[in-house]
Amino acid sequence: MKIFNFILRLVIGGVFVVAGAMKIWNPGGFANDIANYRLLPAALVNLVAIILPAVEVLAGGLLMAGIWKKPSALLIAGMMAIFLAGITQAVYRHLDIRCGCFSTIEARHVGLTALAEDFGLFCAAVWLAFWYKDSHES
Amino acid sequence: MLRTLQRALLIAVAGAALGLAVNTGSPRRIPVIAPPKTAPQPADFVPLADARQLWQGGAAFFLDARAPADYKAGHIAGAYNLPAEDFDARYPETATMLTPETVIVTYCDGLECDLSHHLTDRLRELGYRNVRILQNGWTAWRQAGLTTATGAKP
Repeated sequence: MKIFNFILRLVIGGVFVVAGAMKIWNPGGFANDIANYRLLPAALVNLVAIILPAVEVLAGGLLMAGIWKKPSALLIAGMMAIFLAGITQAVYRHLDIRCGCFSTIEARHVGLTALAEDFGLFCAAVWLAFWYKDSHES
Repeated sequence: MLRTLQRALLIAVAGAALGLAVNTGSPRRIPVIAPPKTAPQPADFVPLADARQLWQGGAAFFLDARAPADYKAGHIAGAYNLPAEDFDARYPETATMLTPETVIVTYCDGLECDLSHHLTDRLRELGYRNVRILQNGWTAWRQAGLTTATGAKP
């Protein structure tokens, strides 16, 4: 079980580090992807595009490194919940937009595949944040 | 649990500060508060029928503002790819084919897509006078049964 949790931490943390880093690389493109979701007032879009990827990298990095595992997993679960809500409303509203999940170089659009993947990540992060037990809790 | 929550908040705040710091030092930085956009006017758009005529007569230069992967998957035949999000890097290769008088039609995909608007703004800043947007371009073109192409080249 220990090794399973270890691998899970590396994978989830790694996904967030990579996804965040790719967005930091192209903040303008990511801002455009956020704007396409039509959820945020235009004035806030850039702020979120600047802050969110850095929080992803930090939380993912901490989870991988095993520092503050539960807090970083909780934060990741919270971000995943927001992403899931965003994609769900986009699918529901039939917005044919780019997911923006990883970066602007992926052509993937929002849809059921993106929803399923994100739901898997969300469940894994919730597991790490709430039920995962190890010798020294943090 | 409370401590976990506090620490999660602390990570979020630290991440936010990190993001703002990185953006300040980045060559691709964006303004923290986006400047209000001026909405495009009807004159900024070219109707599909007109675009089709321009295309048939070879009278306009079509520019696909989407990402290279989208362009590769399918685009208006003869259109060149100039991704709005990578404008600075990709503009030089396109510039050799344009003059300030060239009639340019930009497009992306979807009614909400504003990549073609960004591209049009950038081109106008550079002095191109005849730039117009084919709204919902890729979908509209395809649905009208007009000629398309795939691959990285026009």
